[in-house]
Order: sequence, then structure tokens, then C-alpha cells
Amino acid sequence: MLILSRKPGESIVIDGRIIIKIMRLEGEVVKLGIEAPIDIPVHRQEVYDEIQKSNKEALTDSRTKLPRVAPNKTAYPIKGNGNHARPQ
Amino acid sequence: MNTLELLEPERISTRTNDVVLLPYGLLGFERVKNYSLLAKPAQDPYLWLQMLEEAKHAFLVLPPSAILANYQPDFEYEDVEFLELNETADALILNIVTMRESGPATVNLKGPIVINRRTWIGKQVIPNNAAQYPTRHPLSFS
Repeated sequence: MLILSRKPGESIVIDGRIIIKIMRLEGEVVKLGIEAPIDIPVHRQEVYDEIQKSNKEALTDSRTKLPRVAPNKTAYPIKGNGNHARPQ
Repeated sequence: MNTLELLEPERISTRTNDVVLLPYGLLGFERVKNYSLLAKPAQDPYLWLQMLEEAKHAFLVLPPSAILANYQPDFEYEDVEFLELNETADALILNIVTMRESGPATVNLKGPIVINRRTWIGKQVIPNNAAQYPTRHPLSFS
């Protein structure tokens, strides 16, 4: 792993076309800005890994007997205030 | 528009067996882009997302409205743009089901597959509020 030190406002260029900029520090949290071509998806690693793992577990034999879905829908508990402003 | 209210799924049988294009593939299966969405009426509301390339695996999927009353993934602006979701009704949302030998079947609410009903182009998205949803929501049995 290449380890570099950057200050807020400084950037890293990968392959001449992916730019990672340190936007600012908020306490322990580093805000990163990422510019990448549209065909390159960018995700937080832990969420990516969790979903990737779940996808791999889900591959199944189409002959599997399927559980019948309960007719009464569960109301999903919602945390947070449902604010949909774009994160800054 | 970031949050799309879920509508009852329309009857999609007229559009099943069509090819769904996932330009980014699924997470962990990025190389496979072409899928067929199959419905077997006896298995309603389950659907199958069948790979048309490579190993031809299939994923069992479920529209979340079949099991949850208020699933509200908050889609990232870039995903809404990419999929050209101009209105709520454009989005067909499907969640991947995992069958297990021991324990209940579970459904991934954290990374839904969103398909534009007009273009039949889809993407497995990570919503802004992904943290509040599990990858293993147990399916209850009737």
C-alpha cells in the first residue's frame, strides 16, 4: 500500500484520471472529494464488502423450494429523520 | 429527487424474459452485465435474475413492497441521474434473497437493485441511508 501524507486542500491523482482531494477535517473524520470517470464506481469499502459478500451468498439453485412470503407487511423501523439533502 | 416512494409493483409479466442491462454488474460480479428477469407465476412475488453470460447463475429477488410497508432507500443523486429516473413510477426495485440451509431466508435491504422500467437498465445501488438497513433481513413465513 502506498502511504502518502496530505493536508486539507491537497490531492492525489491515480492513473492520471482519478483525483482524490482532502476537503477538510472534522474532528476525527476526513472529508474526501473524489473525481472519477463515470464508468468507475466509488464506494465506502465496508459497505461495498458487505453487499458483495451478501451477493455471493445469495447465488442459488433455481430448483430450491421457496419460503412463502407473509401476507402482512412489516413496517420497517426507520431511524433518522428522512432528510434527503445531498451530503456536503 | 432522492427518495422514491414505493408503489405496488405493476404486473411485470409482459416485460419479463427481457434482458436487463446492468452496466456495472452486481457488486462482486462486475463482469456480468446482461441478465434476464424471469417470472414463474407459481412463485409470485419472487422473481429470478438470471445471468445471460459466464456461469449463468441466478439470483432470487423480491420486490420489497411484497414484504415491507415503508422501505425507503434514499438513492444517491448520481444513481438517479445514471438510471434516468424521471419519476417514481420509473423505478422497479428488487432485493436479493439468500436461501440458507439453516436459518431463515433473508433479503438484502442495504443494496437494492434498481431498474428503470422504461429503459430496462439497472444498477445495484448503495443508498445514502444504507447504514439503517441490513443485508440480512429475515423473511417471515406465512
